[in-house]
Amino acid sequence: MSDTLCEINIRDIDLKDKRYKISFSDDDITFLAHTIKKAGLTILPVVRPVNNKFIIISGFTTIRALIHNNETKVIVCETKKGITDYQCLLKSILSLSIQRPLTHYELIICTRRLNQFIDKEQIAKKSGAIFNTELNARFVEDLLTIGALPESALKLINDSYLSIKSARRLTGFDKETIQSFLSFFSIIRASNNKQLEIILYVMEICARDDIKPTDFFNTKSLKDILYDKDKDSVLKTKEIRTWLYEKRFPTIFQTQQATLKKITSLKFGNQIKFIPPQNFESQQYTISFMAKSFKEFNKKAKMLTDESNTSMLKEIFNQ
Amino acid sequence: MKIETVFIDEALPKTYEIDYLISKVKSDPQKIKSIKTVYDFINECDDPISKAKQTLYITENKGAVIRECPGTSFYTCCDYTILHTGTFCNMDCSYCILQAYFHPPVLQYFAGLNTIAQSLKKIFNQQKLFRIGTGEYTDSLIWEKISLLPKFLVETFAKQNNCVLELKTKTINIESLLPIDHNGKTILSWSLNTPGIINSQERGTASLRARLDAAKRAEEKGFRLAFHFDPLIIYPGCENQYKKVIKLIFQHVRKESIVWISIGSFRFMPKLKQIIENRFKNSTICYGEFILGLDNKMRYFKPLRIKLYKEIISCIKEYAPDLFVYFCMEDEEVWKKCMGFFPNEEGELGHLLDRSAAKLCGLNPNLL
Ligand code: SF4
Repeated sequence: MSDTLCEINIRDIDLKDKRYKISFSDDDITFLAHTIKKAGLTILPVVRPVNNKFIIISGFTTIRALIHNNETKVIVCETKKGITDYQCLLKSILSLSIQRPLTHYELIICTRRLNQFIDKEQIAKKSGAIFNTELNARFVEDLLTIGALPESALKLINDSYLSIKSARRLTGFDKETIQSFLSFFSIIRASNNKQLEIILYVMEICARDDIKPTDFFNTKSLKDILYDKDKDSVLKTKEIRTWLYEKRFPTIFQTQQATLKKITSLKFGNQIKFIPPQNFESQQYTISFMAKSFKEFNKKAKMLTDESNTSMLKEIFNQ
Repeated sequence: MKIETVFIDEALPKTYEIDYLISKVKSDPQKIKSIKTVYDFINECDDPISKAKQTLYITENKGAVIRECPGTSFYTCCDYTILHTGTFCNMDCSYCILQAYFHPPVLQYFAGLNTIAQSLKKIFNQQKLFRIGTGEYTDSLIWEKISLLPKFLVETFAKQNNCVLELKTKTINIESLLPIDHNGKTILSWSLNTPGIINSQERGTASLRARLDAAKRAEEKGFRLAFHFDPLIIYPGCENQYKKVIKLIFQHVRKESIVWISIGSFRFMPKLKQIIENRFKNSTICYGEFILGLDNKMRYFKPLRIKLYKEIISCIKEYAPDLFVYFCMEDEEVWKKCMGFFPNEEGELGHLLDRSAAKLCGLNPNLL
């Protein structure tokens, strides 16, 4: 027996029961409400009768829009009586996945719920039919592992403060460390690669210096940047990355800074490019300039000769 | 690590060498057709590297028995010759490159004293000096207690005068070698590190004191010695620790017995980092200030290397001003800043080492 179409009172829907809700975006529903008013419902909500009430399987936003429009009744697909929780879950996921690809956050929520009924291999095997896209077992396992992180981590993923790869990396740490990173990432705004770099540097510094990450995040100079009200999250991220790099590679950082200072003090302005060897491993400096005429060439060559008579250039080469 | 499983190539002829080895291993070897069986056995385990260290495969060398050491064009190489007697090792150093070098690593013992003898004969007949070592893909003396090979090599090298054999080890397995009339043609050499690094990074190796005591015993039997500070690991206070090790060397042996001391700092293929993190959870050796070197290996930032090298070299020179100290895989800048010269010409470093070997081991000086 398939679902039946019927009209029900909106007040008979238990709006608090969100067990099948997958998408948690708080999008403005005014536009949807307006469209429904003009064109009616194009996709019907699916509801399940439970204890003289209905619970929503799909169409949470539609119901919200109807309430916004002060509607009291709605045409829905009512599931058959004997439907199982697992079948309802599949319906709720499919109703969304046929409309658009699920976000990482939604995939985590869905796999976590599916895993109550089927294992990761089965999820991967059925992923095409459920998610409208193939997921391999390894990725499903990652999603499940991330799904075990605290809810605040999932919220950060949903809000794009934490990448899925960074979240996966965090899963290997103890609870306190995870919590420290989550608080940290809720304040800054960094791309996936930068997040991974931050995690790497923090963990390596802590291992090297034998300190707990929780204590590391309490470092005053780090907190000074993190909680500076005059800096936006992008600037904070930039400064924190520099700060971390200095902590992770103190000698390299100092050498780079000192060399940069010396190079800046050369009177080349932006006429002549002077680039030190990468990582100072080779001894080869790159010196280049452009010239459109012989006159310009002569001028820049003279700049180089003048500077080679000063001690600074010698110092740079002999450092 | 203890050998748990022994495989043997079924094509191997039955020889006294193999019978001796098997009798000492105290485990019935499983005869197999191909090395694939060993690969599968090792790979099915969660930690194939540890498994490989407990799985011995007795076979013959199917490739070249004697090879040139693979140096790189960016860093000066010492023109070493490798006698390929086996692969991998049953000790377990966190930084060991062999963990990442073979896929998967297999602890192979290459049987065939005759094959080795024939290959060496060709080398012995050349009008050229050779420094030959067996410790490039394995430790030279891990099998000393169960194998006839080390003894055979020392005896074979004793009968000629254009080659010197270097047996490089972190063990103290020298018992069977001590009574041999080695004729000065074998250098017993030890890789050394600070007690802190040995304890934390070199599982299953002999302690520093034990290595130096073994060196002393070897010296008493007239063996020439060498020491290798490789890999130097930079950590707070390491300079003083390395200086203490140097002091200990000269408290144990006479400087005149040492043919050379080499120095090299920790460098690794990037993929080794993950292996170390997985297998040595408490190791922090990868968290130093490393950069990607010109040979695509991670190396300590050059000023840090130079600083430590200078300290170590000046300390060695205090005890033994004339002792030949050289760098393993370093460039011109490092050589000049630390040693005051650079073996610029191709083969120059090799020649300097040959000179030292000729002088201390009695090689034919006319071949220099
Ligand atoms: S002793 Fe040498 S070969 Fe053996 S594990 Fe240590 S570094 Fe590797």
